[in-house]
Amino acid sequence: MSDGSISSQGRRVLFRQGTVLKIIVLALLTALIVLPLIRTVLFTLQPDTFVAWSDVLIGRLSTNLFYKPLANTLLIGVVVSTGCVLLGGFLAWLVVMTNVPYRRTIGVMATLPFMIPSFAAALAWGTLFRNDRIGGQVGWFQGLGFDVPNWLAWGIVPTLIVLTLHYFSLAFTIIAAALATVNSDLVEAAQIAGAKGRRILTGIILPVTTPALVAAGSLCFAGAVSNFATPALLGLPVRMQTLSTRLFGMIEVGQVGRGYVIGILLVLISGVFLWAGNRIVSGRRSYATITGKGGRAKRFDLRSARWPLFAIAMIILLASTVVPVIVLVASSFAPSSANLFSGWTTHYWIGTSNPSFAQGVPGIVYNADIVRALTVTLALGVAVAFTGMIVGLLASYTTARFREGWVSAAITQISFLPLLVPGIAFGAAYIAYLGAPIGPVPALYGTFALLVIAGTAYLLPFAVQTGRAVIQQVGGELEESARITGAGFVRRLAAITVPLAVRGLAAGGILIFVKIVRDLSLVVLLFTPTMPVLSVVAYRYASEGFGQFANAITVVILAISIAATLIANRLQAKSQPWLKD
Amino acid sequence: MNVTKATRFGAIGIFLASAAYADGHMDAMTAEELLPLAQQEGAVTVYSFTSRIGRVEAAFEEAYPGIDLQGFDISSTEQIARLKAEAQAGVANADVIYISDVPVVLPELLETGIITPYVPPRVADRVPQEYQSPLLAQRLSTKVLMYNEAANPNGAPVDSLWDLTRDEWAARVIMVDPLQRGDYLDLMTEIVLRSDEMAQAYETEFGEAIMLDGAANAGEKFIMDLFDNDVILVSSTDDVNAAVGVIGQDNPPIGFTSYSDRRDNEDEGWALQVANSVVPAPGIIFPAILALSATPKNPAAARLVIDFLMGDETETGGPGLAPFYVAGDYVTRSDIPPHPDAVPLDEFAAWRIDPAETATIRAEIGDLILTLQ
Repeated sequence: MSDGSISSQGRRVLFRQGTVLKIIVLALLTALIVLPLIRTVLFTLQPDTFVAWSDVLIGRLSTNLFYKPLANTLLIGVVVSTGCVLLGGFLAWLVVMTNVPYRRTIGVMATLPFMIPSFAAALAWGTLFRNDRIGGQVGWFQGLGFDVPNWLAWGIVPTLIVLTLHYFSLAFTIIAAALATVNSDLVEAAQIAGAKGRRILTGIILPVTTPALVAAGSLCFAGAVSNFATPALLGLPVRMQTLSTRLFGMIEVGQVGRGYVIGILLVLISGVFLWAGNRIVSGRRSYATITGKGGRAKRFDLRSARWPLFAIAMIILLASTVVPVIVLVASSFAPSSANLFSGWTTHYWIGTSNPSFAQGVPGIVYNADIVRALTVTLALGVAVAFTGMIVGLLASYTTARFREGWVSAAITQISFLPLLVPGIAFGAAYIAYLGAPIGPVPALYGTFALLVIAGTAYLLPFAVQTGRAVIQQVGGELEESARITGAGFVRRLAAITVPLAVRGLAAGGILIFVKIVRDLSLVVLLFTPTMPVLSVVAYRYASEGFGQFANAITVVILAISIAATLIANRLQAKSQPWLKD
Repeated sequence: MNVTKATRFGAIGIFLASAAYADGHMDAMTAEELLPLAQQEGAVTVYSFTSRIGRVEAAFEEAYPGIDLQGFDISSTEQIARLKAEAQAGVANADVIYISDVPVVLPELLETGIITPYVPPRVADRVPQEYQSPLLAQRLSTKVLMYNEAANPNGAPVDSLWDLTRDEWAARVIMVDPLQRGDYLDLMTEIVLRSDEMAQAYETEFGEAIMLDGAANAGEKFIMDLFDNDVILVSSTDDVNAAVGVIGQDNPPIGFTSYSDRRDNEDEGWALQVANSVVPAPGIIFPAILALSATPKNPAAARLVIDFLMGDETETGGPGLAPFYVAGDYVTRSDIPPHPDAVPLDEFAAWRIDPAETATIRAEIGDLILTLQ
């Protein structure tokens, strides 16, 4: 179309295709994500670290170093993402499209598991199912006299269950937002034509929500394969390794080269899977479901299945929310981890310093470090949610409206990259990247800005993915008519796209806030004494055997996350027709 | 923030010019001479691999009012990663580095010029030379075989490391994954370095010379047999302590952990005890290092902290040493009497590691363990 003419006509053609916008977004994402990662790759290509590639891929170590962990990682990715889409999709369908009892409660509870740090859920699993394999304290079930077999106490099975129960709420959030925007015209037309519920589900709802299902599956896959805490806690006693635990172990013992190679391979492998998912979505022509007309359809009547389905939903939700929270809270009061429900004390919360107790560490309310960390953490959460959604909106708008061309494909792929990079590696890359001055930019090491920039880049996939699922559904025709009447890009974005997509964007913002507030892996290297964050403080307590303080802080993180979600739900209530009766 | 930054930039120039002179000059100062300079600096930052820095902080601020000690509890491995990253960024947040993992510290931090040694002149004549060079060791820490004293009132249930490869100990030996914690890799490395002793102990235990079966030496053979016997790997020493130590177990496992964790027996309901009579040795003993940042922001206060952490002139070293004067930690100062509740150092059978020696084959042993998992 463009034949290289530099006339004003030619410029307009370029602009109309979104080329300028695409280039800007691509440059931004390159600076945020690609450059730090390139530094990591270059590191492994140095003459003295290059041998790491052959160690990992072909040497005598490769089976244990790479191929076995790879098999476990892929198994986790596939099973967890499938399970999450099924569970999340089932709950989203119940909440959005049916008349199941207590839809509101189910809707709120289904967003909670994601706010519980996955290591807390893994610890809770151990508290309940731990057997006598590693001696010491056995879990609750073993204590009741059941003989818990190894396969249920440790290794791949509990890892799959814990990760599925952790990530399904991510799938729920994305799928529910998409289901809520399914155009009633389509459903009503089908109903008039005499289609039954199942036919409507497979013929209309599933096809138009495909982007959301693929997005949800992709995010869960990427999250599951790079999760460290759960396989580390549940897999190690039976020597189950994944690529992320391998990577962590290699960096821990100073074999950074091998660690980075494993990290790079993890990125590539996940990239292949996500690319395949992306192909499925972009192969279809249009997913616009919010158009200039149409309203809400009637809910499906579940009839006699209402209560049984409600019961199934509640079992899933209790197992994934209430149980881990009870264990977490109980262990913030119990002086000995051996007796979770006896000898409770409030010292870890409101005790003053006492040299004979917990080495003189005061309760978290009186601990100045923790109070300061709380302030920094909240500020960080808000800042990253804000900057993340701006960049995420730009990126998702660009790829949704200007889907053609390699630049869009590149933007999509790049915006996914951080998901596949274990946080600790991303943090290390960022220190190398922005730690030292670049030209006029001073060294950002130890500043709030570095935390915000790295956090924004690291969580961009969530912003882009949720934004994209929503924006793709805002029909291009509305914007088209605005452009015909002469509205510019910013005006169109502000007056049409943002207001219509605000629900999805807010959902994305909350996800980001919650993720950064409870994130450990990214900030563990980026934190500095002047910029403490809660999760690192909790981690330091946990690693020094002060599990109760760690759990108390985790409860605080949890409370912040849940409060954020509830406030957001309240703010959104007016624009959430699917929750109205 | 801006003011701090501007000051910092201004200061760097002056500082670089005078650093070499000032630092050398300060090395010879006594604590009394350092104090006014340190009070002018007003603050000092310590990276510590142990949470006990919290108690040091309180004690130090009481002893030297007006100097704010900011102690950060960061694992050795993380400190190394952090200090390297900070050096790359041209930032020196820490003034004092309190760390173990010496086999990694020497090549990665000392030889690269990120940290620099300092021995307070006051105690220089009371710390054996081997603990002053290349870096000052404050105390010796351990990773040794511990058993459950309550379940085994007559002493350790094993008398040789080779016992751990017998069927009766299958899936009942616990340690932290040596590929996740440096000091456990040091332990495995030391076992290989002591292959002659391991071969001897094998003969004593089984009454015949060891057959290597493809292993390079007796130490590697032991590691292979240990993993064949389903040794259980966990992620932290506290997991080992709880598994081995919890009172009320009929048949508790045995495991490698820190001797000094015995101090938590009462608080946690454990019965941990060291299996000191095990041949050829129950484990390793290694130094905990105190060093200065090569470019400390508070050079005087930093030296004062190290002076404080080496203990005062009272019998057991006073408040600076109090958190470390516990059974299972061995203070390097020769004039401080050993802790009464611990096996005295000269009777403690653990191998003393030679960090430089460990560093030579450490990665190789890591690879061996990798193939066994």
